[in-house]
Amino acid sequence: MKFTITRERLHDGLAAVSPTVPAKTTLPVLANILVEAGSDGLRLSGTDLDIAVSTLVPADVDAPGAVTLPAKKLVEIVRELPSAAVRITGAGEQRINLECGRSKFKLLGIAKEEFPNFPPVKFDKAWSVTSADLLKLVNHVSFAASTEESRPILNGVLWELRGEKMRMVATNGHRLAKMDVPASGAKESADLIVPPKALEQIRRLFGAADMIEIAKSENHLGFRTGDTRVFTRLIEGPYPNYEQVIPRENDKVATIDKEALSSALRRVGVVASDQTHRVRLAFSSGTLRFAVSTPDLGEAQDEIAVSYDGEPLEIGFNANYLLEVLKYMPTDEVKFSFKAPERAATIEPAGWDDPAAYLCLVMPLRLVD
Amino acid sequence: MGKIAVLPRTVADQIAAGEVVERPASVVKELVENALDAGASAVTVELEEGGRGLVRVSDDGTGMDRDDTVLAVERHATSKIHSAAELVGVATYGFRGEALSAIASVSKFEMETANGTDGTKVTVTGGRLERVEPVARQRGTTVEVRQIFYNTPARRKFLRSQRSETRAASEALTVLALARLDVHFKLVSDGRVLLDAPRASNVADRIALLFGAVTATGLIPVDGVSGGITVRGFIQRPAEARPAGRKAYLFVNGRPFRDHFLVRAAEAGYRSTIHPGGRPTLFLSIGIPGDAVDVNVHPAKLEVRFRDRMLVERAIEDAVRGALGGGEAAAEFRGERGNEGTGERSLVPLFARSFDSGAQLDSLFDQRSTGASSPAAAPWHGPTAILQVLSTYLLFETPEGIAIVDQHSAHERVLYERTMAQLSGPGAPSQRLLLPLTLDLSPPELEVIETHGDLLNAAGFEVEPFGGRSVVVHAVPNPHPRFDAKRCLEEMVADFARGRFGGWHNRLERFAATYACRAAIKAGQTLGTDEMRDLLARLFACDLPPHDVHGRPTIVQLPRDELERRFGRA
Ligand SMILES: Nc1ncnc2c1ncn2[C@@H]1O[C@H](COP(=O)(O)OP(=O)(O)OP(=O)(O)O)[C@@H](O)[C@H]1O
Ligand SMILES: [Mg+2]
Repeated sequence: MKFTITRERLHDGLAAVSPTVPAKTTLPVLANILVEAGSDGLRLSGTDLDIAVSTLVPADVDAPGAVTLPAKKLVEIVRELPSAAVRITGAGEQRINLECGRSKFKLLGIAKEEFPNFPPVKFDKAWSVTSADLLKLVNHVSFAASTEESRPILNGVLWELRGEKMRMVATNGHRLAKMDVPASGAKESADLIVPPKALEQIRRLFGAADMIEIAKSENHLGFRTGDTRVFTRLIEGPYPNYEQVIPRENDKVATIDKEALSSALRRVGVVASDQTHRVRLAFSSGTLRFAVSTPDLGEAQDEIAVSYDGEPLEIGFNANYLLEVLKYMPTDEVKFSFKAPERAATIEPAGWDDPAAYLCLVMPLRLVD
Repeated sequence: MGKIAVLPRTVADQIAAGEVVERPASVVKELVENALDAGASAVTVELEEGGRGLVRVSDDGTGMDRDDTVLAVERHATSKIHSAAELVGVATYGFRGEALSAIASVSKFEMETANGTDGTKVTVTGGRLERVEPVARQRGTTVEVRQIFYNTPARRKFLRSQRSETRAASEALTVLALARLDVHFKLVSDGRVLLDAPRASNVADRIALLFGAVTATGLIPVDGVSGGITVRGFIQRPAEARPAGRKAYLFVNGRPFRDHFLVRAAEAGYRSTIHPGGRPTLFLSIGIPGDAVDVNVHPAKLEVRFRDRMLVERAIEDAVRGALGGGEAAAEFRGERGNEGTGERSLVPLFARSFDSGAQLDSLFDQRSTGASSPAAAPWHGPTAILQVLSTYLLFETPEGIAIVDQHSAHERVLYERTMAQLSGPGAPSQRLLLPLTLDLSPPELEVIETHGDLLNAAGFEVEPFGGRSVVVHAVPNPHPRFDAKRCLEEMVADFARGRFGGWHNRLERFAATYACRAAIKAGQTLGTDEMRDLLARLFACDLPPHDVHGRPTIVQLPRDELERRFGRA
């Protein structure tokens, strides 16, 4: 193996791949990056077994070859190198010499055979989505997935592909986010349950791209733009029937200034219990009152003006859930709908001039007096 | 001629003696009490054949003159009170004036006494005054009681083995040795010294000497006042309480007595900190105004009567509970023992009620009347760094060494106390579920859901039958971010169905204990720094931080002196 590459290209390639390398692992080769020199350039790959990222960067290859090298050390070395050509030469027995200007390094790697094989995802039957659509879904939905291990299915984000639209849904069982965007491209309908970690890599790597190619094997999903690919394991379904729990008859509707609502929640939330963050919202004509009372700590009250003309209603929430949802709302005003203190409340953007449809749902906390 | 005749005096005395003198141990008790009443600073008891052959008690007290010596063996002769009014608040052990005559009526009795000027010896056999003669001796009194019950063979038959009589006699002396630290006690049995307790400056030392260092170091101090009643002493750490072999010593105004109900009250103070079958060792001394207690209700003065028993029970329960809440109640790391100094105590004040209350910490120091030496520390504001070990234990530095907290036990304690408050208050916060949980249960488990519906609801579980053997759960509590509601509920229902925690008689407490046990963070769960800090803060804000609901410790301490011993720095 022998190749020359600019320090910048090597750096960018490593930057794309190295975030996938796990910080701690019991399998030593996973701490390494697979470096393959071939006729089309230098391919760099990393994986944590759930997700794999692979990218091709231009390089002058004199002799093809492959080895895995310690990701952390390689990244640190390349970061400190001067801006000049980097020459890497195989030195036998998984060793390489790295030269750049007057700097010389010898690094010991691990045989490429030990590196896990990539999932068998074929891009020949791939479909495409615009990066803007996909990232819009990811940005508004994936936060809502569960991080607890008790229900693994909820650790994933449901991605529904239909002829005319795409939808993403995520929930932890206490609150849910759902977004639809009109889209074509998918050849067939599919329900994919994707780990949010993989979507995070898509967001990181494909933000600037135009179109993203997507291909599926039985258990894996592949994303590709240009020379970079991301593979992820799919979570096995079926995803719970969320449609059935989205309320259709929430007849009480308040339109609220998002910033006013958030800051009031943050203020009174200071004295809410660390455990449940419980706040009481009391809607009445034209006003929304907030009350928090935590034994051993104290109480807080606040009030904002809202547009509401339904019957007075009191409902309790985990303030953090509300704040989180509000953070992702794309408009200055939000539409808050509910029916009864024990029923799900929904929050939607108010007056959003966008072809997408966004809805978040928050389950209430029981109010006790 | 009528059938009734007045009994001869000796026979009447023998019958009366039955109430006071039951076995050699009663003789020991009466004679030693007399010695203490006479202001002795050293008392020696010698036994032969477990006291059946001889009980000899010698003291260095005031002694008596010749007239008093003769009077002393008469019935109802006492120097200690002169009228019924003086019975109120009587400060001497004796006041009935019958012990010596009773003993002398059932034995071969000799008393030698000298008050500094006169020396006298009386000999009484089976209640008959044989001789009064002058003797020369040092100030003090020696009483010899030989062949107890020689003249009442029926009663002599009831005496137990020599071993058991010796043990009873030794116990009688032990009780008094606990009451009077300022006196040197010695017990010799057939020439062997069984006990040699020099004057002690604190109870802990005396306890260590009488019961061994292991018992002494397993104790925590009690110091409580309520309703004008003080309760002081030492009680066993909950983690060490066993179902058998406990010792319970009660004293009122320095006088030993027995009272099953007060022991119960002390145990009630342990509630939720020990396994329901655990019986803690207790050394409790009650201080109460003399007119609030009647000591003359039992011939051998083994019992007393309180004017307001409820008040005393409450004072004891509160004092015990108060003691268990302190840092000293935390379990202590125990290495191999044996060659340690006897009676050495290393009670480490671990925490105040909350980290930031320095005042509370000071009072913990004050409470330590037992003389453990420790540099007075600045108020402690909680651990700086916490290390999680084996994903189960939280380890941190305290002013006195290292403390190790079991995360599950600690959280159990936190949840238990919170749940008790919620069950008797407005109920726990409860998160409605978007996707209700379905549980498939066995018939006994379904029964549990029915009978505990109110409590489940108050704890935050909204459960509804769903037909067949299923129930749906619409809302769940949220005791910590990693809470697995489904598993918790399944385990709780199974516990109830199987009668686990059956020893908890109170329904609320049993429920709270079960819930706390099942909802708490598990061992093996990796925690973030904030979570660990939060858990410790909550633990230390509890009423009884050092104990979980199964009688296990939540905290183990590795004090500085133990570290020093292990590293050979001592
Ligand atoms: N060791 C002693 N030293 C000095 N005086 C003693 C001693 N033992 C007994 N006496 C005197 O003898 C009296 C009678 O003793 P006795 O034990 O019979 O009665 P008591 O102690 O007064 O009452 P009780 O029957 O309640 O013990 C005592 O009141 C005390 O004055
Ligand atoms: Mg007496």
